Amino acid sequence: MTTETQEAIALPFHPELKVRVEDFLAYEAELLDERQFDRWLDLLDDDIHYWMPLVRNFEFNRPQDEYSRAHLDAAWFDEGKQTLLQRIRQIQGGDHWAEEPLSRSTHMTTNIRVAAVTETQITVKCRFLLYVNRREEEVRLFVGKRTDILRPVGDGFRILKRSIFLDQSKMLFKNLTTFF
Amino acid sequence: MNHDTLGSGLVDTRAGLVDRAIFSDQQIYEKEMETVFRKSWLFVGHESQIPNNGDYFLSQAGREPVVVTRDQSGEVNVLLNLCTHRGMPVCRYDKGNAKRFTCPYHGWTFSNNGELSGVPLNTEGYGGKLERSRWGLIRARVARYYGSIWATFDEAAPSFEAFLGDMGWWLREFMMGPDGEDDGLEVIDGILKCEIPSNWKFGAENAAGDLYHDVSHKSVQRVGLALTGLRGRHTWDADKNKFRMLNITFPAGGHAVRGNLYEHAMREYFSQWGANPEVDEYFRDAHYARQKRVGERERLLNRGGVVFPNFVYNAANRTSVTTWIPRAPGRTEVWKWVFVPKNAPQVVKDVMRNYLLRYTGPAGMVEQDDFENWGSAQVGAESVLARRLPMNYQLRLGGEAKWAWPEPWIGAGALVDEGVSEHAQRIFYDRWSEMMTGQPRPFRREAAAE
Repeated sequence: MTTETQEAIALPFHPELKVRVEDFLAYEAELLDERQFDRWLDLLDDDIHYWMPLVRNFEFNRPQDEYSRAHLDAAWFDEGKQTLLQRIRQIQGGDHWAEEPLSRSTHMTTNIRVAAVTETQITVKCRFLLYVNRREEEVRLFVGKRTDILRPVGDGFRILKRSIFLDQSKMLFKNLTTFF
Repeated sequence: MNHDTLGSGLVDTRAGLVDRAIFSDQQIYEKEMETVFRKSWLFVGHESQIPNNGDYFLSQAGREPVVVTRDQSGEVNVLLNLCTHRGMPVCRYDKGNAKRFTCPYHGWTFSNNGELSGVPLNTEGYGGKLERSRWGLIRARVARYYGSIWATFDEAAPSFEAFLGDMGWWLREFMMGPDGEDDGLEVIDGILKCEIPSNWKFGAENAAGDLYHDVSHKSVQRVGLALTGLRGRHTWDADKNKFRMLNITFPAGGHAVRGNLYEHAMREYFSQWGANPEVDEYFRDAHYARQKRVGERERLLNRGGVVFPNFVYNAANRTSVTTWIPRAPGRTEVWKWVFVPKNAPQVVKDVMRNYLLRYTGPAGMVEQDDFENWGSAQVGAESVLARRLPMNYQLRLGGEAKWAWPEPWIGAGALVDEGVSEHAQRIFYDRWSEMMTGQPRPFRREAAAE
């Protein structure tokens, strides 16, 4: 037995910050699910990088192949606030047939952990489950991992970077019309 | 229904009518796999995906899984990705680099040109008598065309160039850089793959020449997507030169293109990337360079089209390829390749990549609405009541289309209509019907008579 020589893994723990982050992420999910898209947009930093890479089946010794690279390769999303604004305006016109009538969504986040803290950035990791129901029978279930970088602003936060790692290589659904 | 006659009587392009069963019937779908897909050349990828010897990626030749490799001698191979022993996919990684593939079931090993290179118990079990040359991976015939890679498993199929006919120029032009350089594109790494609940032909006929469906894209026109500084989704909206909008079809092969024919030769460049001067400068120079390279056909703007049956492309700065992979009558896998000009400055690649990723695929602000609508069209294809009425393809029906027109150099095999028309869809289904039944169809006979 070597237990006495084994060191405990010390994870950074920020209990007060964690509670505030959890509250923030729950509020953000509420805004999306209640379709308050303009208020959701206010939670995004002007310089946000919103990224969801493609996912591949990769060789064991080539883990670099699993996700497509940001700013270089193809991606499901790799964009900033202006494009997110355009997506919202598209939904809000009543003529974006992929979201007209509007889908129903429920965003759930769990395993929320404050992974790193500096004066200007808070790195938060979580797991998400996004359920989307569209018209009568269409169901989309997205499960995956997310890494967010939050910027403290006053008593709250702005999202500076969101990286979304979906657990699907082929997208099993026809459209990505919801925000993650 | 008798299998031999399946497909006949379902398409009446003279009347502009197509039976809804062709989108929903399981037997028709199975016959499509045997006739339309098995006898056609199919796009499987691009050479820039496998720059080095040993590189490979998984692809689909219609419903059949293939692995596309560059072997140790630099040759491109398209191999059926199924072990010849028990049928396992021997390669299960989306891409990589390997000299050989070993089946995970019994260990049969194939080199990256498909040869069976190793068999466990070769001496003890097979007495060293296994005919290795017979049990290699099944190889497709391969055509390399200005960077694009095509395959067919039909030994009797014509050459790829013969299959293309006069469509060849358009495919070659699509694979050019904006400056008219041959083989001028490279793939942005990663194939976008998703699944839509509709028949594969809805996407294919749309690309053939559905200029009627602007209402589908009303929302993206409203918010704007192109970097022209204008609203809208197309960069050419900013080009003020006068043009005729053409539906150019090649009935012998069923291929079709949407093209603008500009009134004047050597037209001036109008800013089409106004939001980024550096990028606009690149496209200005490319515009004039292309005019010098391409000759009289520089008056044409290649907007996109279909190589029958399931390769569709968007051109005119929206350089992307889509293949429709039929999984079931009402289920289609969509594969998308996004291209940028390989010799362009990085800033141009970045801007085009950004534009294309917002345009295309399931997260694309344009194509989301297409996918939604084709899924809905499938509802009508499966409705017993709606099937009493065929689908209507009568827009501009009545012999307006002309051969080798408006300019003879558009090609003797080109049958062209102008404006918003369902001419190209009629040709698409004419060719489909011809392949399904083996019977020559009206447009081909007209071609023969001319």
